[in-house]
Amino acid sequence: MVGKNKYLQQLEALGHWFFYVTLHLFGQRGAHILLVPVVLSYVLWSRKIRRTVQPYLKRRFPKASVIGYFRHTFLTVFSFGRVLVERGWLGTVKDACLSGTIEGYEQITAEIAKGKGLVLLTAHMGNWQSALANLGDLPVPVNALMLYDKKAVAKHYFDLNRSKKSFQIIDAEGGFGGMVDSLAALNRGEVVTIMGDRFIKGSSTTVDFLGSEIKLPDSAYMLAASAGAPVAIVFAAQTGGGSYQLKVWDIFYPEYKSRDERGQMLMGCAEKFSSAMEEYLVLYPYQWYNFHNFWKK
Amino acid sequence: METTKAKLKEILVNDLKLQGITPEEIGDTEPLFGEGLGLDSLDAVELVVLIQKYFDVQISDMEEGKVAFVSIESLAQYILDHKD
Repeated sequence: MVGKNKYLQQLEALGHWFFYVTLHLFGQRGAHILLVPVVLSYVLWSRKIRRTVQPYLKRRFPKASVIGYFRHTFLTVFSFGRVLVERGWLGTVKDACLSGTIEGYEQITAEIAKGKGLVLLTAHMGNWQSALANLGDLPVPVNALMLYDKKAVAKHYFDLNRSKKSFQIIDAEGGFGGMVDSLAALNRGEVVTIMGDRFIKGSSTTVDFLGSEIKLPDSAYMLAASAGAPVAIVFAAQTGGGSYQLKVWDIFYPEYKSRDERGQMLMGCAEKFSSAMEEYLVLYPYQWYNFHNFWKK
Repeated sequence: METTKAKLKEILVNDLKLQGITPEEIGDTEPLFGEGLGLDSLDAVELVVLIQKYFDVQISDMEEGKVAFVSIESLAQYILDHKD
């Protein structure tokens, strides 16, 4: 078994090497062409891959035929492959630079100018890691509330941005889930980015998403309500090889007067977030990258 | 010190709305989070805001928070140490 794992690891390393060489020689387009047979073989032969995307695709395309469903599976995996190629391109090719637009940038800067801070809520969709790195150009420091074990990888991608400012990481595994440090950052008028789609532990609210219930974390809304800061729902979409679109889908101020109203406020906020994700997935159905059973309780 | 502790207990019961307990029943050294009074990370955020509101004292980072949020006694001490 150990021998087999080692063999597979070597095979995987060889595959990565082959992609990097292709990227250097033929650019992203060459890597995308190489991606087609690789993804096709994965989708055809890997039951694990098909199982991984099934919970989402069955809900997003409930009436798909067998062939249609196969096509959706291929396009989802291929789309994720393109994001990985883009990351590889940014990380290994000298002078590689992402280009893109931020729809709603003025809204974000106008909210920041009010001095109350801003909670920037996003999700594991599109080329979020590469695209969000470009938020380093905002007029105030940007903090990312995230898990410690992902710190190194995420920091790496944020640092791919060549702008002067870099992301400050707030450890979500630290005391009180990083909430005190995040609140302090908001009180300084800074931006705190949070992934709003994955509930791991702590407080959550159950809402409907693509026809079934999911749990969404409450922390972003509580932080915003406590600081008097707005929440901006911002999602990234890969719009081509090396390009992105960041779009503000909603901006709102979570507020509650007493603890009794807290649950109701959190429910309203979670519903806004869930609706925004659904709207995004109508436009970009293959850029959903929560590759696990998101609906499993 | 005693006045600050009493005020903090009042805040926990009235503002954070801890149920089934009166201010007098909260022990000075009882843990605030987890086992003990059972506050969670959302309550921590509210508590930071409430301390700022009632005592004009800011808890600005987690290192400070860790020390302060152990119990009523440590929180009261923190407030007294940081009040102008």
